[in-house]
Amino acid sequence: MRLLDLKQGDTATIDKINGGRNMRFRMDGFGLRAGKRIRLIMAAPFRGPLLVEDTESGARTMIGRGMAEDIEVSHQEPS
Amino acid sequence: MAGFKVNTGNFAGTTVSFTETKVFFEGRTIRLIDLPGTYSISSHDIAEKVARDYLLSGNADVIINVLDASLLSRSLEFTIQILEMNIPMVIGLNMYDEAQRKGIEIDLDGLKNLTGSEAYPIIAVEGSGVHELFEAAIRVADSNFKPVKPVYDRDVEECIAAISRQYPKALRNGLAIDERFLIIRLLEMDEDFEKTVGRLDKAFLEYVIKKRHELAEIHNWPESGVFSSHRHAFVIDLFEKIAKVSRRTGMDLREKIDHFIINPVGGFTAIIGLLFFMFYTSFKFGDLISGLIEPPLDHLGEFVRGMAGGFAGVMISGLYDGLVAGAGIVLPYLVPLLILMAILEDSGLLPRIAFMVDGILHRFGLHGKSVIPLILGYGCSVPAIMAARSLEHERDRIITMLIIPFIPCSARTVIILALAGKYLGGTYTTLIYLGNIMVILAVSFGLSRINVDMAPGIIMDVPPLRRPYLNLVINKAWWRLREFLFFAWPVIAVSSVVLAILSYMGLDRTINAVLSPITSTILNLPDQTGITLFLGIFRKELTLLMLNQSLGTADITMILSNVQILVLVVFTVLYIPCIATIATLWKEGGWKTAFYSILLNTTVAIIVAGGIAQISKLF
Repeated sequence: MRLLDLKQGDTATIDKINGGRNMRFRMDGFGLRAGKRIRLIMAAPFRGPLLVEDTESGARTMIGRGMAEDIEVSHQEPS
Repeated sequence: MAGFKVNTGNFAGTTVSFTETKVFFEGRTIRLIDLPGTYSISSHDIAEKVARDYLLSGNADVIINVLDASLLSRSLEFTIQILEMNIPMVIGLNMYDEAQRKGIEIDLDGLKNLTGSEAYPIIAVEGSGVHELFEAAIRVADSNFKPVKPVYDRDVEECIAAISRQYPKALRNGLAIDERFLIIRLLEMDEDFEKTVGRLDKAFLEYVIKKRHELAEIHNWPESGVFSSHRHAFVIDLFEKIAKVSRRTGMDLREKIDHFIINPVGGFTAIIGLLFFMFYTSFKFGDLISGLIEPPLDHLGEFVRGMAGGFAGVMISGLYDGLVAGAGIVLPYLVPLLILMAILEDSGLLPRIAFMVDGILHRFGLHGKSVIPLILGYGCSVPAIMAARSLEHERDRIITMLIIPFIPCSARTVIILALAGKYLGGTYTTLIYLGNIMVILAVSFGLSRINVDMAPGIIMDVPPLRRPYLNLVINKAWWRLREFLFFAWPVIAVSSVVLAILSYMGLDRTINAVLSPITSTILNLPDQTGITLFLGIFRKELTLLMLNQSLGTADITMILSNVQILVLVVFTVLYIPCIATIATLWKEGGWKTAFYSILLNTTVAIIVAGGIAQISKLF
């Protein structure tokens, strides 16, 4: 599934980042890459960006919807 | 580092050029270059390029790498990239208190052993640890120290070694760049370096691409990410060796506040409440102070005016009016506004506002990242336009730069408060602000239709909320106030004298007559406002300050009706940006942007203010 499809509070692992190397580089700078565990904190209203937390470091990043479409994740049930 | 940064919120990307400061430290003069905050050294945005190009220029004796200890694993990623550049470095582990709060414990000796760089915990906002960091930096710069280059997995190292054997002489002589660093950049598909290398030796570049391809195939990983995934593994390994993280439970106050803001209802309530509070407080506070100091200044004025007659008298009273106008009208409103702006910046609220309003702004063709320049625009257009550099796309940047001059900066806020606030009341003042926002959105929407290129999405850090430190807030406000005190105030005083002389000689009437088609025909204002609007191009405050003088009365309600005051305020807020803004637009976006801005602002101002004036005539 895509990052965009996660629900608030969901935890997931990034599988793949589509959308070319520029996109991947950009994400990389924010520590977002395949294998990273993240949590969706909130989607901003009016089709705004998604606020994502790196569960490991607690760093928070906002990602626009267009980009969130290009991020493939697998959802994890809370343990 | 230099005690103050002109334009930094607590997130990377606000400073995009570097500033150079001379620092005196233990009897030595040190050139300190403050590079833009970045997350990596690839060539994808201007800030990163500026930082990298400077580091590569070979001018740095030592890098003081100030990283966010509370986000250590990510900060290390960048640190490792710098180590690849092979420049001496010391590490400042900033926000050490925040890191401890999060339960991160860092083994400083371990970090030194593994990277070769000494690390010092610092809390930059309090200045603690900074002295030790500087001492270490100087020690390292003096010694012949080289950092420990990170060594990656065997097959990556073999790949680098293989490429290194083919490394052409032309590159070694032609580029003053560390060989290993260049190879790594090429393995990471850095477009800039690919171009440069391709020009010098095409065959070599093709060889690198072949090797890179092989590496990607062995690891079954996309070519663009294969190297960075190795670096990332290296960083994780390093992080685990030097840091211990203990989990905490429960939320503290800041997290509770954050929890409230990161929520549609709470967020918008907070934003609207905050902005309202900001303008209301600076208005009320300004009013209070202004009311206290006006009467004594008026008395003094009468005394000064009585001192001399004739031409000397004209000059003295012109100078006095100019000085008083600065002290009595601008300062009381400006000081609280600057302090509140500084608090807003330092607390980490700006990225949260950007997050909440990005969706709305997108509909009007703006970008969520524009929020930061736009809000800074309420302080001053000049730093706001500079902050627009953080937008990666030319189109977004130009639109944002063209929008900023429409935002009432602190100078124009003073005009709104002192004219509309004082004579028309709070409702009209609020309406002016809301109307202004509508004009801004309309202009932005219009501009975005001219070029409908889809903007790439926003991606941006949201740092934890931080308590603003009083000394830093005061410092920041003071530095911006200095700009007013030592630059704008003298200009106001001199302009006041010039205006007094002009009117003594009757020349102001010429300017008024030239501008009369706009002022009197379209805007329905008295001719005398022409000169004040003309002066406003130099400093926006002048429009207000010269108004009394040019109308020849202390009470402008004697001459201007309420509608005329409204038209004047609206026109002043929207028309030609001030000289400093035009110059900044020119520098940042080229003469075309500056020219369009003048054209756009003047047209919109005439349409909106003229519209109000003409429609009101019908009633």
